[in-house]
Amino acid sequence: MKAKPSGGTSWPHASVVTLFLVLFSLLVVRLFHLQLTRGEYYSTLAARNRIRSVAVPAPRGVIMDRFGVVLADNEPAFTVSVIHSEFDPENTPLLAGLLSMPGETMDERISAAAESRFRAIVIRDDMDVVAVSPVADNLYRLPGVIVSVTPRRRYRLGSSFCHLIGYVSLADSAARYHGELSGITGLERIMNLRLSGSPGFIREVVDAFGRVVDTFGDSPEASPVPGENISLTVDAVLQTHADSVMATTGHPGGAVVLDWSTGELLCLSSVPSFDPNLFIGGISSRDWNAIIENPQKPLLNRAWGTAYPPASTYKIVSSAWLLEQGLTNPRLLPDPCYGSVSYGGNVFRCWAVHGRLNLEEALAVSCDSYFYRTCQTGNMDDLARISRSMGLGERLTAVLPGEAAGAVPDRHMMNSLYGAGGWGQGNLLNLVIGQGELLITPLQMAVVSGLVAARGEMPPLSLVIGDEPCGVRLAPRVSLATWEEIDRGLRSAVTARNGTLHRSMGGSAFPIRAKSGTAETHTGEDHAWVCGYLPHPATIAFAVFVENGGSGGAVAGPLALSIMEKAVERLYPDARW
Amino acid sequence: MPDGDRTDYRMIGAIAILLVLGLLSVYSAVFGGALFYRQLAVVMVGLVVLLLAFNIPLRIVEEVSPLVYPLVAVLLLLTVFFGRGPAGRWLIIGPINLQASEFAKAALIIISARLLPGLKTGAVRWSGPVFIGGVTLLVVLTAMQPDLGTAVAMGLIVLGMVYWAGFGFRWMFLFVSPLLAALSSLGFVWWLLFTALLCVVLHIDRAPGWKWVALTVGNTLVAALTPMAWNLLMPYQKARLTTFLNPALDPQGAGWNIIQSQVAVGSGRFYGQGFLQGAQKALAYLPARHTDFIFSVYAEEFGFVGSVLLLGLYATLIWRILLAARKSINPFSSILAAGVAFYFIIHVFVNIGMAMGIMPVTGLPLPMMTYGGSHIIMEMLMVGLALNAARNWRSW
Repeated sequence: MKAKPSGGTSWPHASVVTLFLVLFSLLVVRLFHLQLTRGEYYSTLAARNRIRSVAVPAPRGVIMDRFGVVLADNEPAFTVSVIHSEFDPENTPLLAGLLSMPGETMDERISAAAESRFRAIVIRDDMDVVAVSPVADNLYRLPGVIVSVTPRRRYRLGSSFCHLIGYVSLADSAARYHGELSGITGLERIMNLRLSGSPGFIREVVDAFGRVVDTFGDSPEASPVPGENISLTVDAVLQTHADSVMATTGHPGGAVVLDWSTGELLCLSSVPSFDPNLFIGGISSRDWNAIIENPQKPLLNRAWGTAYPPASTYKIVSSAWLLEQGLTNPRLLPDPCYGSVSYGGNVFRCWAVHGRLNLEEALAVSCDSYFYRTCQTGNMDDLARISRSMGLGERLTAVLPGEAAGAVPDRHMMNSLYGAGGWGQGNLLNLVIGQGELLITPLQMAVVSGLVAARGEMPPLSLVIGDEPCGVRLAPRVSLATWEEIDRGLRSAVTARNGTLHRSMGGSAFPIRAKSGTAETHTGEDHAWVCGYLPHPATIAFAVFVENGGSGGAVAGPLALSIMEKAVERLYPDARW
Repeated sequence: MPDGDRTDYRMIGAIAILLVLGLLSVYSAVFGGALFYRQLAVVMVGLVVLLLAFNIPLRIVEEVSPLVYPLVAVLLLLTVFFGRGPAGRWLIIGPINLQASEFAKAALIIISARLLPGLKTGAVRWSGPVFIGGVTLLVVLTAMQPDLGTAVAMGLIVLGMVYWAGFGFRWMFLFVSPLLAALSSLGFVWWLLFTALLCVVLHIDRAPGWKWVALTVGNTLVAALTPMAWNLLMPYQKARLTTFLNPALDPQGAGWNIIQSQVAVGSGRFYGQGFLQGAQKALAYLPARHTDFIFSVYAEEFGFVGSVLLLGLYATLIWRILLAARKSINPFSSILAAGVAFYFIIHVFVNIGMAMGIMPVTGLPLPMMTYGGSHIIMEMLMVGLALNAARNWRSW
């Protein structure tokens, strides 16, 4: 550059040259840093390329009950992983032996690891110290094998919450890193995203024996985001108490307790149950067969997952329907109960001879004849409508895993079952006493009881503290007078000397309102039901069901009383009436 | 004038050595495989293109340049719809894979050089809006390839050319104002500041009324619509954009490549591991080693000495092109050569910076080195034009 051409272009030229020189100097400075200042470091790294990317599992959220009792948490467990690029395939049999795993399984996992060659792929997880120590002792001759500590899920109360909380297992989705836990059933599955958090990654520098000596300095690194802790509205003490009480019968069954002033679910007991801890590391076939071959089917959840004929407990709904439709009134005395009613050529039996009764007394002694006589001019669709408005025939919540909807027959359903004209008003007589095609879960029955207690204004169900309610909002169009009349009937069932629950609950200090039910089945003994509630201030409603347990009042009544007393002691210890 | 009307042999020397080093690196990166011979063929074709560009009268290039525009726009559009290959950026025609965005870069430089002088004198009506609209369309089509990195590079090259053409900072501010408006939507205060600055610039410029209205209303619209457009994007599209802006957010993907690349560069140390001796490369740890990260292969094998030599060769090339740009008395030649210089500055800095972890990961190739046909042929074309301008600096 000796001469400058004419024209005023030298300023742009100078500034562009300056910019260009600055940028290139930056590159040279960076080169100097990487190749000369840090060159030795990088070349030792490159010598065996001993940086590797390891996933750091996020601790899964803890699940607690309403008082902070831990139901599901994490404890350390050992994981053996392989980084394929550093692993010598000739060591496969050795590793299989140390882990006492079958050769084929090991080959399978090693070839799975080959798909992401530079990442640690889990070969076996969930091991205790004893199981992992043979590998740990031989790590020096197993390059590319890593032993790490990972959190493992533990269900503290074992079987008590197996249906509600469910269990976790290794995630097999491609979107998750190998070894990540994922909920398989229950809330673990439904709330998996909230519980699981997101894993982090660290870059480790390891020595020739696979031991971690450092984390790689100026590398991007993501720390794990822990999963969310979840507090359930359930009381663990009440639940375990209910479990043990329910187990005394030796029959399968379910018990639901809820707070009708808040909609909170307090107890969701189902017997028999299983230990979810068995499933975590993959259940053994012996344990699995024991569960699956148990005639009482422990995998079934009787609190909300199965629906049964509700029998006389359904008379709560029938009464509301009769009163609202004007088919009866509190003072009406239909023809006396002679032990059966003839209708359309069929004989409809009552379980005893009750004589002349009003509605309160009919509810107290659970007289079927009263309902046979009063319902005859009613419309099945109206009964179905009022049942649905109380949450029957539909799922009540969005979160309870595998919730059953049950069934509420209406004209449409009867037509599709029996064909138009294949059924008649006689079916309605069966329905009003809770027999026939009706199917209802214990949870739904507890909600019906809660609605009576709250005079129709019960908040939607909730299961997780701090969350929006998870239940549907129910607004039955039933007048206050009707609720009051049913309330009187349910009170009499306990207090009246001939009330169906007088023997089992009459001695209680609490002003319990309750209704028993004894459902006839085609298979063995009757199903026993009882549902009811306490008035303000101990705002508790409940339903107890015993499969093939026998008489509702005699079998389910004492169980319900025991659960109820525990619930008051736990939640409303100062309640006085 | 020491190199008066003669051929610029220093530029030719630099480009020749760069081509040889590029071929060596590709040979090393693909272990002498078939891709190397393909690259050799590309360089041969490129030499023919260079000779043609060197000898064609620049006046013809200037006059033909508007025809290039629709051609490139159609190529880009076709790629948007029928793009194949790893990132959907290739147009596959028989045995040839065209990367339309590479053609777009060269075309943009030639067309800008054609339009900018007229814009400066204001001789042609509507030349300003036509220029800005034309540039924006090409940049947007390129971003839709999808090739955001190239689109940004194109914007920067044009900005440099605008500056070279003698437009002041105020004009450049107006030129990039839509982009600034989009950024200002981050916060109300930023938007206020931006709008105030815009008004000040328009006032000092004594802008006519229509310009006031167009720029203030247009930019306010851009600022208002940007957050909405962002919310319309799918989560994975947002993730792509944020990963582009910050690859550390995706440590398993782009971040991993950068670390391995840094290890490769660093392990070259002073003299390098020697040709064909790179350990990182040999173990296949280095991703995209014959394309995006070709510099890492080179730096590992030839070390600090070799890398500084390579930067020196690029510096010589750029220096000679800038000289050609400076001395050309024909504005078309001058601005064209400047555009070529900006092309090389940006590509060398971004690609080598990326390999050393100081720039984000983009698909910008390293000129003359990265494996691939389209960009090498276009670079040879541009160098040919620059050589042409250097030799014929006197011709008007």
